Amino acid sequence: MQKAFGKKSIILLFIFPAFLIYTLFVIVSIVWAGYYSFFDWSGVGEKIFIGLQNYIELLSRDDVFRSTIWHTVIYTIINVLIQVFGGLLFAILLSRVKKGRVALQTLYYVPVVISSVAICQIFSKLLSVTPTGVVNQLLSVFNPALKVMEWTSNPNISLYVTAFVEGYKYLGLYMVIFYAALIGVPDELGEAARIDGASLFQEYWHVRIPYIKPVIVANCLLVLNGSLRSFEFSYLLTHGGPGNASELMTTYMYKQAFTSMKYGYGSAVAIMIVIICLIVGVLFKKITGEEAEK
Amino acid sequence: MKTKKVTVGSVIKWILVVLLLVIQVYPFVYVMISSFKSLDDFRKLPAYALPSSFYIGNYVTVFTKSHMLTYFKNSVIVLIGVLIPLLLIALMAGFALSKIKFRGKKFLLNYFLLGLMLPMQVALIPLFTIFNKLGLINTYAAIILPQIAFSLSYSIQLFYSFSKFFPEEILEAAIIDGCSPMGCFFRMVVPLSLNSVITVATMQAVFCWNEYINAYTFTRSTDMKTVTLGLNDYVGSMGLTDWGATFAAITVTVIPVFIFYFFSSKRMLAGMASGAVKG
Repeated sequence: MQKAFGKKSIILLFIFPAFLIYTLFVIVSIVWAGYYSFFDWSGVGEKIFIGLQNYIELLSRDDVFRSTIWHTVIYTIINVLIQVFGGLLFAILLSRVKKGRVALQTLYYVPVVISSVAICQIFSKLLSVTPTGVVNQLLSVFNPALKVMEWTSNPNISLYVTAFVEGYKYLGLYMVIFYAALIGVPDELGEAARIDGASLFQEYWHVRIPYIKPVIVANCLLVLNGSLRSFEFSYLLTHGGPGNASELMTTYMYKQAFTSMKYGYGSAVAIMIVIICLIVGVLFKKITGEEAEK
Repeated sequence: MKTKKVTVGSVIKWILVVLLLVIQVYPFVYVMISSFKSLDDFRKLPAYALPSSFYIGNYVTVFTKSHMLTYFKNSVIVLIGVLIPLLLIALMAGFALSKIKFRGKKFLLNYFLLGLMLPMQVALIPLFTIFNKLGLINTYAAIILPQIAFSLSYSIQLFYSFSKFFPEEILEAAIIDGCSPMGCFFRMVVPLSLNSVITVATMQAVFCWNEYINAYTFTRSTDMKTVTLGLNDYVGSMGLTDWGATFAAITVTVIPVFIFYFFSSKRMLAGMASGAVKG
């Protein structure tokens, strides 16, 4: 087989189509964005070469960009908490259920397959104030003042609300992954712990969860990477607002380029995002690579 | 004492199960129920209440006053345009990277996997300027090609790990019988990998159907918009005034995904788990 398939022309035939499309659209685009980032350019007319000026502006003078970094960090932390810990909780619960497990898993996963657009629309209705949405109606039972609670248009919490909605959508994904890992834990381990007198909580805390630690670490980084590139929830649910209260790096980049028509400046933001994503990616490789070697 | 403890535990467990089920599913149930509410219901009843009658006027509004059918047509075209080339070239590359030994193989694999870390948004500015120059803005090509490119990394990764289990002996036998490598691929590899192809296809189909930012950036006119864009536009113009139509529009766009999902959930969930646990 190696003889027949190992010829250069055959290998080329198999790999070249994917290589070409991937290189042209992914790699070349990003290099190209790097090139644009050295110019002052509005998309039409003359490109003016300004060297590192965009980056200097970005890092030293642009307060909004600095706040978007901060927002992205908060956003990412909330998402790791919801998706990893929430997903783990769902997975543990699922692994304890015997009846209807498949049906439950299928239903728990539903938000993952619904488009972000639909989810944002649904949440803007659930969290509506006028007319009173379901959430406020429910909360007003406990405290009537909450009936007029603003969610998406409240600068103090709009970032958290956005992060929550994204976490909500993707939680099911990590549930499925952790569940698959949990049922891979040898039953003898859990049973041995129980015989030694461990409670259910101790069994999970000391035996089952440490056993799937590599999967948890790997998925923390996947969530991290996913949140760094998050765009739709901030853009659609709150438009990055009110003001810049829930603006993320990606939405800021998009608005700089396509709303303010600052292509060069937007590209510089894009390159910053790429650098951060790559650092996280390299960390991911390193950690999962080390685990694989063990 | 012990049996009592177990029952308390299991009661808590089932309360949790139901609670989480409500959290995960209720928003969609709420939308579907509300899509049958009339304007009067929205005014008079609390938000969580059932509609007073089975009112289908909202659906009539959606299908007569929006371009829903155009959006669906575009989404189907984009879906097919993305899936078929994507699956073919990703399977070819994934299979070759996993089964054929050659120099630079490891490097090539890592090169493709690099794409997993790169967000699509950063490519939008250069792609927009290029498409603009080539006159490709507002065409299917502009919606389809970047999506194929940015879905390649994940698909190749999955096909790469699935292909490891492909039995080589079958190929050996076919080659001895005089089958060319490409012939082998289409007559042996594709049919025998059908399971993994369908798994990847179901996952990518959902991603593609739900895709927003790419289509949003590269389309201009209503007749090119996909379902997600159409929904956002429609709700954007109706959302404040006509909640019933909004809910009906959301339901219409979500139902096909639900149907597809409930038929393919087993494969999709298995694919998701295997892709991420085994790496």
